[in-house]
Amino acid sequence: MSAIQQGVGTIQRALRAVGGHGGWLAGLLLTVGWLALPSIGFAAEGATAGPTEYRDIPYIGSRNLIWIVAQLHLLLAGFVLGVPIFAWLCEVIAWRGGEQRYDKLAKEFTKLLTSAYATTALFGGILLFLLVAFYPKLMNYLTDVFFPSFLVYCLLFLLETATLYLYWYGWDAMQDGNKKTLHIFLGFLLNFFALFIMIVPNAWATFQSSPVVISEGTAFERAWAATWNPTWWPINVHRLIANVVLGGYICGAYAGVRYLSVKNPEDREHYDWMGYVGNFIGVFGLLALPFAGYWLMREIYQYNQQMGITLMGGFLSWLFIIQAMLIGVLFLGSNYYFWLGITYRIPGSEGKYRRAMLMMLVSLLLCLAVWMTPHSLVASIEEAQKMGGAHHPLLGVLGVMSAKMTVSNLMILITFMSFVMYWRAGKQDTAGWAKLGKAVMGAVLVLASLAVIVLGVWGYFVPAIVRINYFSTSQVLIVIFVILTITPLTALLLKSARTTTEMVWGSMPPRAGYALVLNAVMVILLMTLMGYARSSSRVHWHVYGVMRDSSPYAYSPALGSASLIMAFCTFFFCILVAFIFWVATMGDKYKATAASGKGELPHGIPALAGGAPEERPQG
Amino acid sequence: MSEVAQLQLIALSIVGIGILILLFIKATFVRVTGFVAIVLGLFSLMSLAVPQMASLPPAEEKIDIASIKTPTDIAAIGQTVFFSKGQCALCHSIGPSESARCPDLKGIGAKLSREFLYESLTDPQAFVYQDYRHGGLPKEYPATMPAINKDPIGLSKNEILAVIAFLQQMSGEPVSISVTDLEIPGKAPSAPVKAAESSLVADASRNQ
Repeated sequence: MSAIQQGVGTIQRALRAVGGHGGWLAGLLLTVGWLALPSIGFAAEGATAGPTEYRDIPYIGSRNLIWIVAQLHLLLAGFVLGVPIFAWLCEVIAWRGGEQRYDKLAKEFTKLLTSAYATTALFGGILLFLLVAFYPKLMNYLTDVFFPSFLVYCLLFLLETATLYLYWYGWDAMQDGNKKTLHIFLGFLLNFFALFIMIVPNAWATFQSSPVVISEGTAFERAWAATWNPTWWPINVHRLIANVVLGGYICGAYAGVRYLSVKNPEDREHYDWMGYVGNFIGVFGLLALPFAGYWLMREIYQYNQQMGITLMGGFLSWLFIIQAMLIGVLFLGSNYYFWLGITYRIPGSEGKYRRAMLMMLVSLLLCLAVWMTPHSLVASIEEAQKMGGAHHPLLGVLGVMSAKMTVSNLMILITFMSFVMYWRAGKQDTAGWAKLGKAVMGAVLVLASLAVIVLGVWGYFVPAIVRINYFSTSQVLIVIFVILTITPLTALLLKSARTTTEMVWGSMPPRAGYALVLNAVMVILLMTLMGYARSSSRVHWHVYGVMRDSSPYAYSPALGSASLIMAFCTFFFCILVAFIFWVATMGDKYKATAASGKGELPHGIPALAGGAPEERPQG
Repeated sequence: MSEVAQLQLIALSIVGIGILILLFIKATFVRVTGFVAIVLGLFSLMSLAVPQMASLPPAEEKIDIASIKTPTDIAAIGQTVFFSKGQCALCHSIGPSESARCPDLKGIGAKLSREFLYESLTDPQAFVYQDYRHGGLPKEYPATMPAINKDPIGLSKNEILAVIAFLQQMSGEPVSISVTDLEIPGKAPSAPVKAAESSLVADASRNQ
């Protein structure tokens, strides 16, 4: 038995003694951990027989270090997979609609990709080395199962890198005619390969939670069976949408920070507009995300009910209250930004929409209050007797899934209507069918809201299976129906509408910039929180039910302690992204200074990797 | 000072630093950093305000055969396994409960034979009561009872017998598991508990 294994009991006894919070606060001392890396070799000492199963690191602990590096890698990966989708969408809008500012925006964000890509790969490499060093037995097992997909992954990286270079460095050279079409196709290819770069490692991660193990067949057949595990596609879809949301909100946050710092009116207009586009794309991804999350949870329950209960009703149940709070703040922040836009960008609209905005705010807060209502409380015997049971009468009603599904759907509807309101502000309908069209839209919205509420209340009186399979699904379909009905109708209505008030860009108050930053932080925090949930749902298993974790870290820390690691990861990721933005725009600043004649680019400085190709006049 | 209090103090300090930055620093990037610090500090405070539960790996129940004198001793071990490694209480209640997802086990030790209980734990699909769902539509989303002697729970035979002893004891029945039924480590295992005979199943079914 190795020295580490001998420490298992000690750490776990200590954890029990302190009520599960553990003495791993030192885990935040990442720097100390890095300095202590050479001592990995010492930690493995004492293993006298058999291959080493685990290695450790002093102070920070191997698990915490892996946690932080893996989380940062995942966040960076979300960023470099989300930004190309965002950039490509903007490029297509510019290509089809002729608005060159979208092309400029797409280019501005693609510029980030080369440095962001390198940083992501760097963290991926560090993660791989650490995993091989700290968890050799697990990595050996996973390599045996997934060896063929490792080769596919390498090939995908080569293709992705080549496409990214062509896409970025060919931007200016492929602006006209068929060349632009080719460039758009390159952007599509970039996202196509990126999708596969995401779903291949998703198979490794989901296999750990819901393994499918077959003993016979070729290496490829075994790898394929393990890849196509029950939670693979739900995670793929959930992460794809989440990456779009992350890309959009980070674009918004970048624009928000730049908006707060620039003085030039032209720059203020540009970054105000960029913030709007980022928030818009983030919100539209956000509207679809709860549906994907619901599907994922459903698949988890179907795969293994115990795992589902551990997540939703076991020691992680309070995590979902925190998740509700974060999503609620994200909804509020996104709506608030729309309302600020109506008030400041479209002069004269505030009075018209003030009442509606107030009602929306109250509704959102009420929905959030219901969503955050816990199902059960930790109560003493006396408190339980006073309540008349384990559940408070109010919590027993509002804390259940029927209520939560209803309010989350209502919040999506309200957010969608905020956007429609913003879209319509400052315009007067001229179409002959405008009255009828608005009446139809109003009726659809009211009937849909009522139907969502009725199904929610009815859900209390039917077996859970009926609620889960039919009522909740119907609620989701109703909301999708509303979005798919009202969006084209509004677009059609506004096609012939007269603009009464021109949009004034650059007039938003500073708090709009902070709202954009808040939204991005909420999305990042949500990703770190749900990463902790997904990993903790495996409890004391490396591969659920197949390979047990017998290391000293075979426990999941309490939410409070874990939140500090999540906060650290979020903060460090924000700093990394800020650094990437800074590096990527450094060359532009020199060029701007040189062009204005105020300074000269120092001779002998090599071009930055990923530096912007020469600007050329647009349009 | 408890560990939670220490962590709360750290989170409060982060919020405080953020507020100080917003109050006294003019540089935009630093101010945004301060704002982010406030948000992250509040998030940690909120996470520390909810009940703190860590998930520990199930402790290995060392069944010291030599220390077991009476069936009550076996039932006491079974009670521990029921609420810890066995994870039975995750789904089952003992007595009526709003939150229980699976059958109430109160009195189950009196209704079912020892052999039938053993089969229900190790081969749960061998016999399913027709009235299990208490009416309603067919259950497409099954609350499947796992085979308790297999991973991920993986109770040993001794632990399963101890759980059965506990179920019998809390049902007011005499415990039918004796020390001689338990496997002694290092010795050849005693004869396995036979799966329920059809007559026993029928009896149990009638008892429901």
